Amino acid sequence: MRLTALDEVSERLGLKRGQGLAEARAMFPKIDVADEDDAADQSLLEAIADWCDRYTPLVALDGREGLFLDITGCAHLFGGEEALLKDILGRLLQMGFDVKGAISSSPGLSWAACRFGRGGVIADQVTQEVLAPLPVNALRIDETTIASLYKLGLKRIGDLLPMPRAPLARRFGTHLLLRLDQALGNNEEAISPRRPVAALSAERRLAEPIQAEEHILQLTGQIAISLKSELEARGVGGRVFELVLFRVDGRVFRIAAGASQPLQDPKRISSLFSERLNAVHDHLDAGFGFELLRLNVLQYDIFKILQGDFTGNGDSEISLADFVDRVSARLGADCLQVAEPKQSHVPERAEVFVPAIAARIVREKPEEIFTFVPRSDRPLRLFRHPEPVEAFAATVPDGPPQRFRWRRIVHKVIRAEGPERISPEWWHDEEDAEERDYFRLESEAGRRFWVFRAGHYVAGKTAPTWRVHGIFA
Amino acid sequence: MAEHATAQETLFALREQIARLEGKSLPALAAAEQADSAADPEGRKAKDNQPRLPFGITQMDTALEGGLPLDGITEIRSLLMGDAGAASGFALSLASYLKARQPNEVPVLWIGDVVSTQEAGIPYSVGLKQFGLSSRDVLYASPRKLDDALWLAETAVASRALVAVILEIRGNPRHFGLTESRRLGLRAKAAGRPLFLLRHGGEEEASSASFRFLVEPAPAAPRHLPNGSVLGGSIGHPVFRLTLEKSRNPAPLSLLLEWNPYERQFSLGKDTGEAFSFRNPPAHPGARLPASADRQDRAPALGTVMAFERAS
Repeated sequence: MRLTALDEVSERLGLKRGQGLAEARAMFPKIDVADEDDAADQSLLEAIADWCDRYTPLVALDGREGLFLDITGCAHLFGGEEALLKDILGRLLQMGFDVKGAISSSPGLSWAACRFGRGGVIADQVTQEVLAPLPVNALRIDETTIASLYKLGLKRIGDLLPMPRAPLARRFGTHLLLRLDQALGNNEEAISPRRPVAALSAERRLAEPIQAEEHILQLTGQIAISLKSELEARGVGGRVFELVLFRVDGRVFRIAAGASQPLQDPKRISSLFSERLNAVHDHLDAGFGFELLRLNVLQYDIFKILQGDFTGNGDSEISLADFVDRVSARLGADCLQVAEPKQSHVPERAEVFVPAIAARIVREKPEEIFTFVPRSDRPLRLFRHPEPVEAFAATVPDGPPQRFRWRRIVHKVIRAEGPERISPEWWHDEEDAEERDYFRLESEAGRRFWVFRAGHYVAGKTAPTWRVHGIFA
Repeated sequence: MAEHATAQETLFALREQIARLEGKSLPALAAAEQADSAADPEGRKAKDNQPRLPFGITQMDTALEGGLPLDGITEIRSLLMGDAGAASGFALSLASYLKARQPNEVPVLWIGDVVSTQEAGIPYSVGLKQFGLSSRDVLYASPRKLDDALWLAETAVASRALVAVILEIRGNPRHFGLTESRRLGLRAKAAGRPLFLLRHGGEEEASSASFRFLVEPAPAAPRHLPNGSVLGGSIGHPVFRLTLEKSRNPAPLSLLLEWNPYERQFSLGKDTGEAFSFRNPPAHPGARLPASADRQDRAPALGTVMAFERAS
């Protein structure tokens, strides 16, 4: 077992990362050792990354102990780069993290300056001066390259800078030069943000944290008002909204709500979240309150402007969409579904259920999907899995049974229609899938069933099974 | 004397108000209305603010006082879960009938019950299309709990966004009593939208539904050939055996109702002429003998208990 991380005190004692645990214990018997928990470290880092969303939407994880923030165009909101860095570091320090940070024009330089330099804001003109005294480890290259550079006496980045590039590339590969260029800012490097950037977003910072749900909703409505003009200017309406709540102690809650139609109206947006807040009520722990609310538009669509008619009847479509949104927000998108026809002659494959909230767009397609229209009657209610029945006195080879037992009740068949043969789909089914002969049976009591026989009666083989697949009105 | 008359008038106005709240017609009010209608048949129609959907069958429409109410709960009950086909068929045929008379693109909401879906299957869109409801006409909801289902029904009715709401429940759940049904009924009344309560295998229960039908399966009508003759042994349009259990009409109505899915029209079943009163006879008629355990049971007391003996 080896040491993987050290706190300040143990660092001062002279322990090193990678040292054996037995050795460290022999040197200092009183040290306190805890098992490493990768998952917890990762989730802590992600929580900090979530919190950093308040500064910029572009936050990327860097290994196990670092974060990249792309603050292009964000610094002025916090009073410049110096103030931004001070704000981030100060707040994190108050939360109990010892953090170093650097702002520069390239991720590589910031990485180097954080870990091996003094950090802070680095102006473009002084890139070389800052980079030169740093060890080559600061270039994010692998151990073997570092070792061979050390062997040659190239210990600092300053030693590499005046060297001709071609021999370096030949000896150490192009990766070293790529890293060097990235650190110098000659080669553009993109960070990979954790979350997609919202198409639109608006936020409200609060001097006094809020806790009550009605305040959150009221504020959401206000933020939605400020979003409205932007949405109108683009001629779009939001389909998926996300409300991001930053709690005072750094925890971040994200509540997403979908709409079945593109929305612009602030009232409807905030009513979407009122259902959603009701649904997540127990999971939303307001604690000491939220200090920052942000409303993101994650997906949007063309907004059709409808003109109301004088009778006021035109709003039925809107209220239906509103209803679908409310139900989907409260009970989940899967609760409310519509059946979409599918191109298949096998009964259970002829329909597929899709959430109503997603189906709106599909519905507006002018062309009809070609579907198989059966000539014979189909049941009103279909079982998800056909249920086995015991059929008695069935006419061999292809007749209906005289009686059958289903769920321990014997039904005497009075009338029967059929058979209707439905073959399996060879392009989907296994080779041994059986043909089904369907019958409509009416029992003595007047109940009507859709019963099928899977397979045929073949001499010398076991009798085919009978199943009930649906019931008629 | 004048004071007395004023008091009478106030009383009458209050009665009228209560009657309106409860959706009932006051005898005096009804008499006055009838007198009105005799004088002015057009005026009665305008006055009648309760939206009704006539079936076009005289017997039915008289019993339902003009047709199916479109602003309240109508309960559809079946005796057994096994009759789910007939019960849901009648509920869906009502929805389809209603939909055929309202030519807008608004769907019907089907609020399913989890256990009923397992027992009797999901409404099948291809079959529904043949039944008179296309697949875009129906929204399916599958709430997990009864509370969610009630919330959904209330929201759906109040939103006025749907032609009709069908709420499927199984048996007589304790959380859906008179209070809840009254609440739903008031919502439906305020919004002017119908709510069909489909109760599988349930007992008769006090509710705020203005009408309650008992639906039992009945042999289907035979198919007709183009020349008008009947194809023997064929299974044609579905027929429901309806009993109007709850209505303001004291005489219970029993009839066979046939649903024509192509014309989306109800008609009377063919053998309605003979008055039938039988239902499925019980499997073991006669008094049940008590099961004896390890010895003979004592003979059951004869007759019915008229009064208990004095306690002291």
